[in-house]
Amino acid sequence: MPGEDYRRYFEILELQPDASFSEVRNAYLHLKRLYSTESIVIHPIANEFSEESRQEVLQRIEDAYERLSALFQDNGSAYTGSRGQPLGPEEAGDVHEHVSFSGETLRQIRQGLGIKLHEIAFATKIRLQYLENIESERFGDLPPEVYLRGYIVNYARCLSLDSGRVARDYMKRYRDWKKKS
Amino acid sequence: MARVKKGCEIWAIGGGKGGTGKSFVTGNIGTYLASRGKRVILIDADIGGANLHTILGVSRPRTSLTDFFERKASLADLIVCCDSSNMGLVTGDLHSIDSGNIRYTQKLRLFRQIRTLETDYILIDLGSGSHANTVDAFLLADKMIIVLVPEITAIENMYHFMKNVLFKKLKISLGSRGFKEFLQDTWRNRTTYGIKNIKELIDYLRKHSTEVREVLDRELSGFRIYLIMNQIRHTSEISIGFSVRSVCMKYFGFKTHYVGYIEYEDLVWRCVNEQRPYLQSYPSSRCAKEIGRIAENLVEGRQIKMTYS
Ligand SMILES: Nc1ncnc2c1ncn2[C@@H]1O[C@H](COP(=O)(O)OP(=O)(O)OP(=O)(O)O)[C@@H](O)[C@H]1O
Ligand SMILES: [Mg+2]
Repeated sequence: MPGEDYRRYFEILELQPDASFSEVRNAYLHLKRLYSTESIVIHPIANEFSEESRQEVLQRIEDAYERLSALFQDNGSAYTGSRGQPLGPEEAGDVHEHVSFSGETLRQIRQGLGIKLHEIAFATKIRLQYLENIESERFGDLPPEVYLRGYIVNYARCLSLDSGRVARDYMKRYRDWKKKS
Repeated sequence: MARVKKGCEIWAIGGGKGGTGKSFVTGNIGTYLASRGKRVILIDADIGGANLHTILGVSRPRTSLTDFFERKASLADLIVCCDSSNMGLVTGDLHSIDSGNIRYTQKLRLFRQIRTLETDYILIDLGSGSHANTVDAFLLADKMIIVLVPEITAIENMYHFMKNVLFKKLKISLGSRGFKEFLQDTWRNRTTYGIKNIKELIDYLRKHSTEVREVLDRELSGFRIYLIMNQIRHTSEISIGFSVRSVCMKYFGFKTHYVGYIEYEDLVWRCVNEQRPYLQSYPSSRCAKEIGRIAENLVEGRQIKMTYS
């Protein structure tokens, strides 16, 4: 059970103290995006809050995430990234510098986050069977290229990944397969 | 689960921009609760814009809140029946009187009578806008509920309403302990004190004395606004509710409970125009399920969790 100190970090990320690491990571990415970009939620009150207070909020979010990441790693329940290493906070922000996104990589990241495939299906409205085919790279059983790209983008967003990069890598693998067959 | 009966609970739905779906949500949450065996009374307090009866498909009743304010009729006598035997409605046809003139004492009388009604839930549709009348009535409820749509203008108006509500809350809390002047002075001279927003105001007030700090901590710890996102057209818009919740906490300094979202559905306005209650016409639609979930969350004081960002 996390002590008093950690409770505060969960609070900063607006989570209950029993949140899983995937919840922590999602909340962190969400808040980081919220306070570092000008969205329709921030815009109407932007003039009431100084740049310093925004930076302060962002800093507290970073700190909380860093401490909680460490907590989850210590407990041995850490999210294991695609390289078999637990992800540090910096890496998790702009994920996976050096990997190419294959179906297997996506599966590992998803499982590492504790997200079920049917949850992705629900969130993206992509058929479960297609998602399974994407992860297993059963390219022959996938929809045409134009649709496939959209699916990959949505799936990647669900995992909070850089969807452009994921789509680029994945579609390259798809085209390589197509050329061969 | 057996519960000790602790009287009825008042939920007020109001604030912000017009047309977000407050009346639709009020009517349908009421219908849902009634369908689950709860006794519900809906009160249409949207002064000058009453239309809850239409959303519920009730033909225009002869009695309304006007009778309460003008003829001093008792509230219980103004309840008309709806389709469900568990649900009653007090309509708010108020264009015959000057709506801005309902005095605070009138409102207190209304809330006193509301509390005596023999029922489980009372849902009050307060209409849009940040008029002092609306803000006061909002604060008198047990649960304060805002319906938001994913649109920058709606978000802007909502912030305005929230700030009004919070400021009024400060005024009531501090005013009753003799700090009314102090609050008004601080606010009037806010630029001198470098106060740019309501959070900084609260921080400044807290530093005044232990007494002020204790009052504020006590009053604000129980202060909570419940948020519903309506007319969602894309799953990405669901997260706006979480963003708003965050801004309320980190920038305004108060708690918000994000209790759920409702999709945009063409059938909704078709039902409204045909004066058919939506939840009764399409009880197994996705919208209906979302409304049910929101009602349950409100009853239990739960909120939804972010599933992905
Ligand atoms: N989820 C929805 N999907 C589609 N249409 C909706 C939805 N919710 C509300 N509407 C439509 O939006 C219109 C406005 O809804 P409603 O009258 O409930 O808003 P309101 O907030 O009560 O407005 P006012 O501030 O004027 O009282 C209605 O005509 C209704 O058909
Ligand atoms: Mg209305």
